Amino acid sequence: MHISHRSRASAARTGALITLLLGFIGMTFGVSALQAHAEGPVEGQTFVIATDTTFAPFEFRDASGDMTGIDMDLIREIAQRKGFNVDIQALGFDAALQAVTSGQADGVIAGMSITDARKEVFDFSAPYFSSGVQMAVRADDSSITSYEDLRGKTVVAKTGAEGLSFAQSIADQYGFTVKALGSADTMYAEVASGNAAAVFDDYPVLAYGIAQGNGLKVVTPKEQGSSYGFAVLKGSNAELLQAFNEGLSEMKADGSYHALLTKYLGSNAPADDAQVEGVQGKTFVIATDTTFAPFEYRNESGEMTGIDIDLINEIARRQGFSVDIRALGFDAALQAVTSGQADGVIAGMSITDARKEVFDFSAPYFDSGVQMAVRADDDTITSYEDLSGKTVVAKTGAEGLTFAQSIADQYGFTVKALDKADTMYSEVATGNAAAVFDDYPVLAYGINQGNGLKIVTPKEQGSSYGFAVLKGSNPELLQAFNAGLSGMQTDGTYQAIIDKYLKAPDAGGSSQSFWGLLVQSMPALLKGLLLTLAATALSLVFASVLGVVFGFLKVSGNKILQSIASVYVDIFRGTPLLVQAFFFYFGLPTALGIKLDVLTAGVITLSLNAGAYMTEIVRGGIQSVDTGQMEAARSLGLNWMQSMRKIIVPQAVKIMTPSFINQFVITLKDTSLLAVLGFAELTYQGQQIIARNFRSFEVWLIVGAMYFIVISALTKLSNRIDRRINK
Amino acid sequence: MSESAKTMIEVTDLHKSFGSNEVLKGISTTINQGEVVAVIGPSGSGKSTFLRCLNLLEEVTSGKVIVEGRDLTDKNTDINQVRQKIGMVFQHFNLFPHQTVAENIMLAPSMLKKLSKTEARSRAESLLAQVKLSEKIDARPAQLSGGQKQRVAIARALAMDPDIMLFDEPTSALDPEMVGEVLDVMKALAAAGMTMVVVTHEMGFAREVSDRLLFMADGRVVEEGDPREVLANPQNDRTKDFLAKVL
Repeated sequence: MHISHRSRASAARTGALITLLLGFIGMTFGVSALQAHAEGPVEGQTFVIATDTTFAPFEFRDASGDMTGIDMDLIREIAQRKGFNVDIQALGFDAALQAVTSGQADGVIAGMSITDARKEVFDFSAPYFSSGVQMAVRADDSSITSYEDLRGKTVVAKTGAEGLSFAQSIADQYGFTVKALGSADTMYAEVASGNAAAVFDDYPVLAYGIAQGNGLKVVTPKEQGSSYGFAVLKGSNAELLQAFNEGLSEMKADGSYHALLTKYLGSNAPADDAQVEGVQGKTFVIATDTTFAPFEYRNESGEMTGIDIDLINEIARRQGFSVDIRALGFDAALQAVTSGQADGVIAGMSITDARKEVFDFSAPYFDSGVQMAVRADDDTITSYEDLSGKTVVAKTGAEGLTFAQSIADQYGFTVKALDKADTMYSEVATGNAAAVFDDYPVLAYGINQGNGLKIVTPKEQGSSYGFAVLKGSNPELLQAFNAGLSGMQTDGTYQAIIDKYLKAPDAGGSSQSFWGLLVQSMPALLKGLLLTLAATALSLVFASVLGVVFGFLKVSGNKILQSIASVYVDIFRGTPLLVQAFFFYFGLPTALGIKLDVLTAGVITLSLNAGAYMTEIVRGGIQSVDTGQMEAARSLGLNWMQSMRKIIVPQAVKIMTPSFINQFVITLKDTSLLAVLGFAELTYQGQQIIARNFRSFEVWLIVGAMYFIVISALTKLSNRIDRRINK
Repeated sequence: MSESAKTMIEVTDLHKSFGSNEVLKGISTTINQGEVVAVIGPSGSGKSTFLRCLNLLEEVTSGKVIVEGRDLTDKNTDINQVRQKIGMVFQHFNLFPHQTVAENIMLAPSMLKKLSKTEARSRAESLLAQVKLSEKIDARPAQLSGGQKQRVAIARALAMDPDIMLFDEPTSALDPEMVGEVLDVMKALAAAGMTMVVVTHEMGFAREVSDRLLFMADGRVVEEGDPREVLANPQNDRTKDFLAKVL
């Protein structure tokens, strides 16, 4: 329980800080605005604002005949905040624009898209709404979920609206008919009655209609979007534009803008003020850690879960993009982003100045802090002073390590860096290390899972976690994350996610019997085993080809070909497989600017590595055939190839078979190294399960047994086949 | 040995070096059709190397080897074609252990002459009859005695119907009681008019069967002539010395 208090307290503190900060920024801007525009402050002035007559939900007349709508509420609220008055004149869209160009009005707010052509004439505010076309169907119609389902059907759209031009542009491709109608009411009625299968319209208009209960539902993401802005005549009323921008950003920050949108658009309101342009419909590869519960870990069914995962998924949903989450381990996740293998990283990653050199961070989404934990039954260590002469562990690249190292000399202890949470806890549980320094939510989660430790010190050196992209790339993804996060913080979704993990931690697993654990982990482990076997089989096929090609080069008798083969063999036998894997997954793609998925990179690595050994097996096999065999064949008039094929190779294959089976077993075992790349093979699955339940003894026993059984069975089978074929 | 006999092999100033070690130091000789030439000499004298130069199992360092009018040292000569007409029998038989006796014999005819399976099989049968091993046609080499292996090797070498047969110490790896059966086959071949070059230690065979004897020492032919004369009355000191030891 104390954890949730802490996180709440810290969230409250952060909130207060942000308010203070914003107030300060606001003051600064206010002051500078006063100074810059001393001749025309907005306070007390009255501005004429032109608008459309009816563009629900942005502007329309309510039951009592007053102008209302998103635009109206927005401009009135900003005017109130900035201390000026507005005189709203509903002139119609074209007339509103003319009123501004002729000086009749000071500004226009009319659901007006920001376009390059209009920028020639107007100065626009920051965009306040992202629009776009969506498709809606009758709420109870589950047969139409995408454009493909429209074949042979009729859809409706509004005359002169973007929805119509979009629907027409895809009508041929998907084989439907478009019917243009003059009013929104008619369109909705057509769909509600079943005369039309779907309606295409601007998303806020659709959303408003649905919120008003027209009986439809939206089924596709936004298409062909544009942004709405407030505009003044180019070069005039700069202070009005500035006041609008300031007011808008204040409203976004304190959630009142979101509330305003919700009022008109209901549950279809965007999470924040607007979806960020340029991310909709895209899929981003998001790298994360493998074992950083409660931020990311695999649940019993082997799916990634945790605060980070829920956060990014929810933001993706709100912002209309897809994420492909890759659990690679912390270091590998950062490398994946720097090498371009991933677009972003969310991995309980502290925002530090050093990292800011390489990454662009989002707004912080979690405030952490380092604590020290010791074995639950250890009463000798209650403070840093008790650590003198002892060894402590901390996680590579984590704040806990930095903090521990910063006080190590002062208190006279040694710091050992480890890569995995479960390894760290085992070190402390077994007494190899006296204490562990780690981020408080992680420690708390592990203790709740029954890792046998207890926390003995208060939080130190709080740091903030951020989502990161490679410096200078994916700015729209970062923007979308910030927008989505701020929306979630505004509507309480964010706190719900935090509470889900820190208030009621998943206590499953630790009290389970061995058999229960075995049954529960088997599906994930079998999935891993399948990938292990697939990677092995693929790699061996390619390795055999490489082995035959280079093996023959080695016995060709041609010096140049022989040295080519020798260089290949020397390189791949002379470097560690792990380095090769890193090279092909991180190094080469960075250099060449390509993306390799982990299976491809893994198979390339294993193929080339095993290929080098196969080359030697092939060479050895051929050379171990008596030279008299080749001479006898050649003396009969057979050429080199014929002699090889008929006489040497059949005998060499017999000699090579045991070595080949041996290499097969080695390659199968080597696939486990690909776990470091996040390749979800058997060893990786084992790591994932332990990261969740900390039961390393049982899980590694099971994983080891699985390898043993499979390798023994396959070896026996291979030997039997060998005996049958080679008699 | 009539003057009009066709020249089968013509060797001119043949030199062969392995690295800096010169094994053949200028050998010239001519072998006619139907002639049986025995090559004798102490070990290390270059007998086997000389023989292996005749079908280019060893590359020639300099000099010329012309077989049935074709210059083996010419890069444009298709050596595989020439070899089909030169059978070779090795000291250690070099039978293909993964094939049966029949397959050993049928390999070259079916691959190079494109004989059908039945044709190749009947060829193997008649060759095996010739070496008196008909009953072993489906045996594996590992099931044969040394003498039987060498007779199969001879049959295999005859399978392409060669004009010349080279024998590289064909009886040296055999137990004494098996030497006779191999020599009998070779005698029959000689009697049938085959051109043969035989590197051997069998002085009896050289005396009785060969038409001409080459005595080699230190990479040179130091004495040659009618075998009965050379063996009975050697002129060169090296020949005398060698014969004193082996006879």
